Amino acid sequence: MTDTKNLPPAEDSTLNPSLSRRQFMGLGLGTAAGAALLGKYTLLQSADGQKTAGKRGHYPPTSFDREVYTMCEMCVWRCGVKAKVKDNVVYKLDGNPFHPHSRGMLCPRGQAGVATLYDPDRLKYPLIRKGARGEGKWVRASWEEALDYVASRMLEIKDTYGPEAMVFSTTHNLIQTQFENLLKAYGSPNYGTQRSLCFNAMITSNLLTYGMEEPGREYSQVKYIILTGRNLLDAISNSETQDLVAALSRGAKLVVLDQRFTKTAAKADMWLPVKPGTDLAFYLAMLNVIITEGRYNERFVEENTVGFEELKATVQQYTPEWAASKCEIPAETIRQIAREFAAEAPHVFAHPGWRTSNFTNSFQTSRAVAILNAIVGNWEQPGGFFAAAGEGGGLELGSVPQPPYPRVSALRLDGVPWKYPLVPLKLGVFQEIRDNILSGEPYQAHGWFIYRQNPVNSLPERRKTMEALSKLDFIVTTDISMNDTAWFSDVVLPEASYLERYDPLHVMGNTLFLRQPVVEPLFESKPGLWIFKELGTRLGLADFFQYEDEEDYIRQQIAPLDISLEELKTRGYYTAPTEAGSAGAGEQKFTFNTPSGKIELASEVLRNSGFNAVPQWEIPTLNQQDEFYLLSGKVAQHTQFATHNNRLLHERQPGNPLWINPEPAAQRKLKDGDMAWVESAGGKVKTPVHVTERIRPDSVFMVPGFGHTSKGLTTAYGAGVSDSDLHVTFTDPISGSQALSQTCVKIYKADES
Amino acid sequence: MANPAKESNTPPKKRWGFVMEPERCIDCEACMVACSVENQVPLGEHRNWISHKEMGIFPDLNITFMPENCHHCSNPPCERVCPTGATYRRDDGIVLVDYDKCIGCKYCMMACPYDARYVNEEKQAVDKCTFCVHRLDAGLPPACVETCVGGARHFGDLNDPYSEVSKLLATHDYYQLYEEAGTGPAIYYIRGK
Repeated sequence: MTDTKNLPPAEDSTLNPSLSRRQFMGLGLGTAAGAALLGKYTLLQSADGQKTAGKRGHYPPTSFDREVYTMCEMCVWRCGVKAKVKDNVVYKLDGNPFHPHSRGMLCPRGQAGVATLYDPDRLKYPLIRKGARGEGKWVRASWEEALDYVASRMLEIKDTYGPEAMVFSTTHNLIQTQFENLLKAYGSPNYGTQRSLCFNAMITSNLLTYGMEEPGREYSQVKYIILTGRNLLDAISNSETQDLVAALSRGAKLVVLDQRFTKTAAKADMWLPVKPGTDLAFYLAMLNVIITEGRYNERFVEENTVGFEELKATVQQYTPEWAASKCEIPAETIRQIAREFAAEAPHVFAHPGWRTSNFTNSFQTSRAVAILNAIVGNWEQPGGFFAAAGEGGGLELGSVPQPPYPRVSALRLDGVPWKYPLVPLKLGVFQEIRDNILSGEPYQAHGWFIYRQNPVNSLPERRKTMEALSKLDFIVTTDISMNDTAWFSDVVLPEASYLERYDPLHVMGNTLFLRQPVVEPLFESKPGLWIFKELGTRLGLADFFQYEDEEDYIRQQIAPLDISLEELKTRGYYTAPTEAGSAGAGEQKFTFNTPSGKIELASEVLRNSGFNAVPQWEIPTLNQQDEFYLLSGKVAQHTQFATHNNRLLHERQPGNPLWINPEPAAQRKLKDGDMAWVESAGGKVKTPVHVTERIRPDSVFMVPGFGHTSKGLTTAYGAGVSDSDLHVTFTDPISGSQALSQTCVKIYKADES
Repeated sequence: MANPAKESNTPPKKRWGFVMEPERCIDCEACMVACSVENQVPLGEHRNWISHKEMGIFPDLNITFMPENCHHCSNPPCERVCPTGATYRRDDGIVLVDYDKCIGCKYCMMACPYDARYVNEEKQAVDKCTFCVHRLDAGLPPACVETCVGGARHFGDLNDPYSEVSKLLATHDYYQLYEEAGTGPAIYYIRGK
């Protein structure tokens, strides 16, 4: 239990009460960290509260009290971090040179981690809503009060409506397994993640083709790369971005399909501003050329794939000339790329993509990409695809003992599998949960536990999300700051930031990596492992959380391994010895985890479910004459919806003006910086425009994640607009993916309205 | 803490400098954030930056990203105009500001053709890139170099023929910015393909 004796009595409090210095000390905070939070200019100050950095003549420190090896959480790539600490203040984060995802470097978000740790808007203690939802009136609570209250409300819902009436949701994180443990022990089948807003199309297509979620890419010897909406130089995945730049520097050819001249396109040998939603036509024509001209790897296809004849018959019709009329890429260009790609095979790949939630045909696009890679035989070849670490096998961790989960008989509110038979149970269809909270079908949900997630900004059609939340009896959100969903919740629980806590271990092949506290949690924030155990215990589920504390949890995980927690903490990682010579020399035999054991060019699973067994042309929605496609995409300086209150990142990217091509801009008398209305079937927003040649005339683009509505985010509040106000909900029936670039918008100058 | 500016431990014949590869710069700005944190640069100011050269009309476009910071000139205009001697040049070519001598007249800011300087209100002095001299003196590369995701920023001793920077210059075509001003900048840019 938290030590609450020294706290001032619970009081009516605003979100950020100005505590007197005495109260501040009374909270038992390190003065250094406290001072850091109060800094006007600099993020960090010394232990005695004096400015050292700012002092005339002084230079930053080069020696530190300790350097702690841990893991970044500014995005989901999980880089290794070396945190440099002096007087219990984290001064600087460096990339851990020993970690394969960072290799000594961090991206701007990773570098800015100190501003997330020392964000003045960090949640300080548990809060219980006092006024109306979204009014911003809170009562400060002790952890004991808050957890007792949350547990009583959750038990009330379970007793009255059954455990399925409680929805749980979170996003990609290391403690996800323990969050899942909580919801499974509670007995709810309703689990929402970011996946259907992100990579469902890519993962479902790879599972059906290769029997694995995501093949790895080998860059050191690659000669030819095609990227379809994988904008690696803006949407940075540290090590893979480093690999791409190095490959290009070495002379590898790069073809980029994107409606925008992104930073990746700027480095490409060929940029193809493909018509939105028609990448599939390009890939069908690639298959047509490579197959009809006999440029595929016959032996590999014969030995390792099924369904080639059906594929061959199907793609006959998709000539480059046919594709050119759909995707607006000249037939000769498609033919040239197909021939070059096949000529450089097997040292080539068409990237599977990542956030492939673009159009309702994105699943078939991803399938065609997977098939293209297969028929040129780049599997397990230098510069090709390979089975990435984490795709089965690897190091075996110890597990915390627990009883079996209660049986769940209720249908899932996300429609898997009763409405979406092919969506993997693990991926789900998040937007469908929201819609079924609204409809009350097949039953009414009554509560929502949101952990480190912000559906108010991330789900399409924010209006509907707000309505769904309004229908619920109870909402609890856990995060490190007052995100927009927390702002609308009944209880807000403050979590320790990634630099202040342990999380379950991260295993990559034969190596495991540790996230460990660099400094003590600020204020009363607590690690997720502690929160779940305390809440679980109050829900009568203590048997599912059989660990004393976070360190005990990790100790149980590493029990079978030849390393102590103390050693692990020093290095931050551990590599288990491998048995040498497991891979046989000479002829390689591949097996794939598909029904046929081979790569499925034609999929019986798809056929039996009533879908096309091989990819066929599907027509995406076409925009009307005066409408634009509203494209989604990323920037290097922000992650999803979580970094906009980081002052260092806000400084780099403070808003999201709407990209528009000069031609349609001129028609609307819009100059760079003018205000415009953007209106869709989902809603409308007013935003400045950025007039640029770097986008197709039929498309507009806005960086997602802005437009925060929580007044608890003082930096991000009022900055930019949210595309979730505009997005219309379109769900791909095969993969459950939300089509985030399929919404069309009208644009007009703001003063005309 | 000792002021590293006053007691250079580096051998006199060093000439620290940058070789930038604009083709490898992805404009992610990790260098800018790393510098802000390392040097505790006040929010709103920055010591390094990336300029864009955008050319063409849709769909024939071209963008070049140019990472930049103080050029630590061998003939620094900022040093010449400083009335108090606050700006000075070390033996190893690093141009620094003695914050105690700076009176904030901003002549140096006017003189610098690269616009590399800003007023640091906390220090009550003009400030700029120091090549992370405190890190150099501890044997570490500048923070921006260490974290450069694209590997566009290279740093080292231009006088050492075996250094990475010297090897890059020996094997590539390169150019400098405002060379014609006679500043003798210590940043070189590798010409693109």
